[in-house]
Formats: sequence, structure tokens, C-alpha cells
Amino acid sequence: MDNTVEFKNIVAQYTEIAAEDMTDDMRFREDLGFSSLDFMSFLGELEDTFDVELEQEDALQVRTLGEALEMLDRMTEE
Amino acid sequence: MKYMRKEYPLTAAQNMHYQWIREYKTQQVSGVSSVAALRSPLDFGLLKKCIQLEIERYGCLRLRFTKPDENGDIRQYIVSKDPRDIPMKDLSGMTMKEADDLMQSWAYETLDGNDRPMFDIYMMKLPEGYNGFFIHMDHRLIDSCGLVVMVNDLMQLYTHYRFGSEYPKDLADFEKVLESDLKKAGNEKRFAKDKKFWDDQLDALGEPLYSDIQGPSVLEAARKKHGDPQLRAADIERKQLFVAVKDYVLEPAPTKGLIDFCMNHQLSMTNLLLLGIRTYLSKVNDGQEDITIENFISRRSTHDEWTSGGSRTIMFPCRTVIAPETSFMEAAYEIQNVQNRIYMHSNYDPALIREKMKRRYHTPEDTVYESCYLTYQPMPVKMDNPFLKDIPMHNKWFANGAATKKMYLTVSHTENGGMNFSYHYQTAALTEKDMELLYYYMMRILFTGISNPDMSIGEIMETV
Repeated sequence: MDNTVEFKNIVAQYTEIAAEDMTDDMRFREDLGFSSLDFMSFLGELEDTFDVELEQEDALQVRTLGEALEMLDRMTEE
Repeated sequence: MKYMRKEYPLTAAQNMHYQWIREYKTQQVSGVSSVAALRSPLDFGLLKKCIQLEIERYGCLRLRFTKPDENGDIRQYIVSKDPRDIPMKDLSGMTMKEADDLMQSWAYETLDGNDRPMFDIYMMKLPEGYNGFFIHMDHRLIDSCGLVVMVNDLMQLYTHYRFGSEYPKDLADFEKVLESDLKKAGNEKRFAKDKKFWDDQLDALGEPLYSDIQGPSVLEAARKKHGDPQLRAADIERKQLFVAVKDYVLEPAPTKGLIDFCMNHQLSMTNLLLLGIRTYLSKVNDGQEDITIENFISRRSTHDEWTSGGSRTIMFPCRTVIAPETSFMEAAYEIQNVQNRIYMHSNYDPALIREKMKRRYHTPEDTVYESCYLTYQPMPVKMDNPFLKDIPMHNKWFANGAATKKMYLTVSHTENGGMNFSYHYQTAALTEKDMELLYYYMMRILFTGISNPDMSIGEIMETV
């Protein structure tokens, strides 16, 4: 299941960067300007939108969009 | 067909303020007031037009509340128009201190009643050539972040019409964001997850333990009063609500030290400040390891949340149990870990956490586990408007004069790169000396810690 479009649309709500300009290597904090609150709210939004339950310890290790998308794909495939 | 207005329940953040109004029996506890003025002549006709336009643009300004029902509950609705005149107040013949004192007295006024506008706004002629506006609002409409967004938007409108600058970007629709917030709050799966998080914390750590700025004598007094030597909560002041404010400014150079430490260790300033406060509380409470501080979270992350206005700020207990042998750095990360989890569960209504604790631990009425409340405001105070950036500003917040909290610390950044520590404290129990000690030791703790991140919390408490 390809979650990319919906995932990037959610990210776009938090940043000035348009979904089509996002690349997998972009880092949430350094490149997209996420604060801790932003990132944790974003994880909650992913859980609600995709109806998954993220492992918080794993989620906190995520640094880039690519890593987050990979984690999400894993969760939605389970 | 008769027009049916759309009514909504209060959000958890709004309800927090409403419950304080009910508990303390005065709307004064929900007041927020500010003046924004520029040292420049203003076209007051244009300013009036821009304020009226702002009322149209910023939906939260048009919020009204219904009369309480038989249970005391109220609902909210948004009126489509608020075609008010904007009065002018000319204080230019006073000194700035006299003008500030007068505006301070306006901040004590209450906005009583239902189905009425919940803010007052005046155009201001101030001393020393400053001109601008004063606004006095109910916190259920807006919080301080929302007010800063409003002031910036209003000044952008003014510079657009006055100087031809770009028209400000559209603000998010307040009603849509409100509906989205209420929908999220009603999401059963989300609610269950959030509830589990807070219940698990109590299961793991047991009942919290009160810690006071003035040391263990306050808890001891509560134990005597309630005839319970095991009591772990202490009384709050319900009658003498008068609050005094003491500000301390940390200079730009040491501020940079704190900011650099946070950057280098991927730590947020909030968490560093929480560590400073909790270590002080631990120090003055015989090394108590279990400390809870109420931390306010603005709950603004998306564009819509940032620009819709509204009252989004809500407080959650940050509880940490930190042993004295824990290093400063480990303690900071422990707090960060706790706070990150709280952020993920910040849609939960914190009133439910308190209700749960009350039921579980049978605490007496009007007792709490916290004496300190923290707000950190990362937003710069300088208006982000190139047409105004070189014009001196008189921007001041006025305390509403009635505190529901024993001590409420607001930390913000100053225009010159420093930080302002604004301590609002109930004078019924606390004095300026208490605030001086708290600030002094907080700084000693923080700067000892960032210089020696491997030093243990116990050593730091002994050293400072």
C-alpha cells in the first residue's frame, strides 16, 4: 500500500515546504523545522489517519521523511 | 426559515479557564491584556478600519458564550459580524508609568455575562509619541500566542493600506479548526490511548508528592490541617488571589549559553527550564526525588493551528522521579522523554487526570500536587514586519491581578537576545524574596549543569 501522498500531505501541514518538493532525506528537525511538540503531534496524526499504533521508542529514533515513511509502510502492512 | 446558530461545547483548553472562573467565582482569572504601540504617528482612521477588518478575519474574536445551563455548563458560538466602534483613549499627557498603571487597572476588569462580545479594544495615544492599541480579552477566546499572531496580522493590514506592503496571508478559519479539535477530542481510539498513557503513569509511580517553593513546611501544614500524616497533596489558595509580578532579565551572553547547550544536545529549552525548577524544588524539599510541575503547552503545530487563533494552551503535569546520583544530562533527557510522551497525548483533557487522581487517592477538596507552573514562549516578541522593524515599540502584557496558581513562571525571549523570567506569584503566601531565591538558584543550577553535564543532580544541589 502506498502511503506516500497522504503522508506528505500531512507533513505539509506542519512546514512551509510543499508536498511535491519533499525528499526522503529531509530531516524533520533540521530541514523541516519541526519542534518536539510538532513531531509528537505529527506521530499522533499518523496514528489516527492510518489507524496504526506506533512503537514510541522506534518512532523517536526517526530522523528523516524516508525513515518515517518506511516505518509507516511497515505498520500498515502488518 | 429561522436561522439556527451553530453551537459547540468548549474545548478542553477553554474548559480549563471556564472551570477556574467557576471555582474562583470571578471572570478576572480568565483575563488577558496587552498594549502594542509604536513610537510613530498613526493614521487612527485607518487603524480603526484595520481593527474592524481584523475582527472579521480572526474568527475567535467573534466568539460568544451561552448562559450556563442547569449543570453550569456553557456552549460557544461564533457571530458573523461584530460591527463595533473602536474608542480612542488619549493618555499622551501622562508619564508612561501613569499610562501603564491605568492600563493595568483596565486589565483587572471583568467581562461578565453571556451572549456578549468577550473583549474590549481601544486605540491608544500614549506618552512619548507612542500610538497603538490596547486589548483586554477573555482567555477562552485566545491565548498569548494567538494574541501575538493577531497583533502581527493587524499591523500587516495597517502597513498594507498605509505603505502598500503585501496584504497579509489568509488566516485559518477558526470555526473549522475548532470543529477539527472537537472531532479529535471525540475520537474514541485516541481517547483510549491517551487515557491509558496517563493511567499507566499513576500505576507505575503511584500517588504524586507535593513539593513547595518554600520547602516541606507547606505540606506539613496541610497534613496537620487535614489530620492525615500521610497526605501527599497541599492546599491551594482560594480567597486571596492577588498576584504580584517580578521580572528578571537574563542577559544575551548567558542566554546564548543556554540556547547553545540545548542545540548541541538536541534538548528543548522547556525541558532545560523544567530541570532547573525541579532541581530547585528537590533542593528545598530535603532532596525529594518525586517532583511534579505543571507545564503549559501551546498545542500549535500545523499552519492552521498557528493562524486560527483561539485558546489552545493547556497544562499537563510533568512528573519525574530523579535520583540524586543521576547526571544533569541524564536528568535532562529523562524530562525530555517524559515531555515527548506528554506531547503525543496532549489532546487529552487534563481535568480528567486530576479527577482520576482525586478518585484514586481521595485527596481533600482544594488540594494539589504542584506549586510551580511554567510557560515557555519561544516566539520572538519583535513584530515580523519590515515596515516596522526599526520603529521603537511599547509592547506590554498586563497581569489580570488574580492568580489561580501559587507561582506561574513565563519565560520569553527579549528583542536583544536575552530571556525574560516573569514570576507571577500569589502574595497570600509568597514574597518577592521567594522569587529572588527561586530565580537565583534556578540560574545557579542551570549554569552549573550546562558547564558540568556529567555532574550529578545531588552534587549540583550541594554545590549551588
